[in-house]
Amino acid sequence: MDKKRGETIWTSLDRKATAIAEFTMRQYRTRLSTWVVLGVGFLAISVVLLFYIDAMNTEIEAIDNDGDSLDWDGDGYVNGQEYKYGTDLNDAASHPGLLDPPIDPEPASMYINEDDYDWDYSDGSRLEVGIDDDGDCNNSSLPESLKDDNNDGTPCNIVLVYDSLSGSYFVYADPYVDEDPDEDRYGKEAQHRAFILGVGKLGFVFLLSIFVPLFLATGLIRDEMTSGTMQYMTAKPIARGEIFLYRMLGYLAIVWPYLLVVCSLLAIVSGFMGPGDQIFRFKDLGVWFSILIAALLATLVYGMLFAFLGVLWKYGIILALPIAAWELGMALLSMTVPESTFLRMSIVGWSMSIIDSGAYLVWPDMALFTQKGAWAGGTGDASFFFGGGNELPGYRALEWAQSDLGLGLGPYATTVLSVVVLFCQAVFFWFIGQLIFKSKEIV
Amino acid sequence: MIPDLAQEGKAQQQAWVPEAQAPVVMLNNVGKTYGRYQALGGISLALSGGVTGILGLNGAGKSTLFKLLMGKLQPTQGEVRLFGTNPWKNPAPYARVGYVPENEKMHDWMTAHEFVSTFARLHGLTRDEAKKEANRVLEFVGLSDVMHKKIGRYSKGMRQRAKIAHALVNDPDLIILDEPLQGCDPLARTTIMNVIRELGRMGRTVLLSSHILSEIERITEQIVILHQGRLLAIGNLHAIREQLDNIPHTIEIECKDAKSLAKDVLSLDMVHGLQFPSSSKLKVFTHHLGEFHKRLPKIIVDNEHDVMVINNPDDDLQSILGYLTGGFR
Repeated sequence: MDKKRGETIWTSLDRKATAIAEFTMRQYRTRLSTWVVLGVGFLAISVVLLFYIDAMNTEIEAIDNDGDSLDWDGDGYVNGQEYKYGTDLNDAASHPGLLDPPIDPEPASMYINEDDYDWDYSDGSRLEVGIDDDGDCNNSSLPESLKDDNNDGTPCNIVLVYDSLSGSYFVYADPYVDEDPDEDRYGKEAQHRAFILGVGKLGFVFLLSIFVPLFLATGLIRDEMTSGTMQYMTAKPIARGEIFLYRMLGYLAIVWPYLLVVCSLLAIVSGFMGPGDQIFRFKDLGVWFSILIAALLATLVYGMLFAFLGVLWKYGIILALPIAAWELGMALLSMTVPESTFLRMSIVGWSMSIIDSGAYLVWPDMALFTQKGAWAGGTGDASFFFGGGNELPGYRALEWAQSDLGLGLGPYATTVLSVVVLFCQAVFFWFIGQLIFKSKEIV
Repeated sequence: MIPDLAQEGKAQQQAWVPEAQAPVVMLNNVGKTYGRYQALGGISLALSGGVTGILGLNGAGKSTLFKLLMGKLQPTQGEVRLFGTNPWKNPAPYARVGYVPENEKMHDWMTAHEFVSTFARLHGLTRDEAKKEANRVLEFVGLSDVMHKKIGRYSKGMRQRAKIAHALVNDPDLIILDEPLQGCDPLARTTIMNVIRELGRMGRTVLLSSHILSEIERITEQIVILHQGRLLAIGNLHAIREQLDNIPHTIEIECKDAKSLAKDVLSLDMVHGLQFPSSSKLKVFTHHLGEFHKRLPKIIVDNEHDVMVINNPDDDLQSILGYLTGGFR
């Protein structure tokens, strides 16, 4: 028995919609080129994933940022131990072994990564953090005034002041506090975040979201027009604007599940591989979700744009290439100058601000966290004095992949605005695309 | 506003309503130019019902005419009306039209059944209905035994029939077939001709184009002759031929004894010349073809001539075009 249901213009519209969308999906499934494009995209992302897995499995070499594991005078006692007992670092005839009772030398490894960060995040603009774990500030022979070098009234601590203009923290540290951080602990977390943001921005929003539509959507209408098979579709009682839209649905029915699968795979692998005590980093899923949303919208907008270019000109892909180049420039710009107005004239800029918002919500300590990498135990300013490097490992990558919210709005407002703008872009490209398609003569 | 996700049962949709009393096809001074090349120049035509053959050499404007009717091209002058509606940028009248393009390209990756049912759904049919309709039309064109095979593996005749089936799926009032017999083997040709004749008997308006007169002749007598983008003649094929009576026609008769037949044929006053290509062949020249054909059977029967074949060798498109445009072969 046939079911009774309300028959409106919509019910027959979506019959046509599903017919064309299904048709398009099946058509793309039978094409080798579809699988090549999707496969190459997957391979490219997988290579990045392999690098990530390798990085997560490699111990980052511990660096003695403050140089106290060295033995300058060669008396068998490292500087840190001599410092602790007040003997002369530069005199081999002065070391704790000559004290009464004599002290045995301690291994140098005791003085590497011995004073890690104790920086707890809160969203205040002025934080007092830092604990002198190894006691080389508290127990040192420094006068009290030098122990409270930052003049906050508490000796041996660190004051962080947030500067909303630059979006970063200024560090006012007392000497020898948190001066020898754990590179592996910081580096793994930084690399993990840099990987998620980098692969999200350049891998998903740029690489996949531009190149997959470039190859799959440019011919969405044009290929049919060139081969002449569009004759069958345009001879049916269906408006060309609908054909354009429904073919798009078919394309999305291929591309969106693909993005979902690749994104989930990366989210799962990085969730298990990522640093931390927990088995799975559930919080990161928020960032992955924003990456997925950004990529879905980007493939929609680029799909509409490239399909429109295909309708516009037989060799629409030639028109699409300079746009792809512009978008690459915008992608890189958004990672360095996220507030640039040029980004408003791009697709990638809006997509990336969705990812930045997601990252901002999941990792609110990002500004503090990047500052940790730059400060690197105070070696950033005085690297000539200590033996350590300028920055902690992973800092560069994170600094590159991470960017602030460029719209001057909160994370939710940024997301909503970006989603709306991307939708409007898609509708706009669809509208002019179907307008041109409608007035095209199909020979 | 509820989307029809299940797509079962029968669709009851508000169809586009054609203008009453309007001819199925109407062209009013329609012309189409590509740059400086005139593909079609000022054609006026109204057709309703029956099978009409559009005859013309390659490049005469047959496909252009059909594409104008199907809204694929915009006329540079004049009006095109399908059921009284302008088809350019308006797909509504196609609800009652079936179109078989000349294009060889098809969706080779689909089976004929998928092809027909997919495109049936563009008429607003549900999945169920579309499948049922596809079975019906594929049966009608005689493809039901191979309809679940990929179109890519079809012969040319089968492909043509699949195209015709896809055009018939909405039970159209107007069927436009662009060169439906091109490249088909004789068997497929016969099947397709039968299908077209059957459609004509069902009262549909059928338009088909061809550059081979004998093909059209076997399907219909109602023809439109296009030549270099112009309408050269319209009406009954033989009537057109009749009007050319002041031009000599040639009739070729194959018989046992050409000489004795010639003697009897000469008694007819409309015959003004004879030729003997061989002992069993006779060529008769006449100005009144119709009259001659009326009188010839009586002569043959009365004198018991053993006639095998009667041919009108110049009664093909080339010669008609030749006569109509004032040239002789």
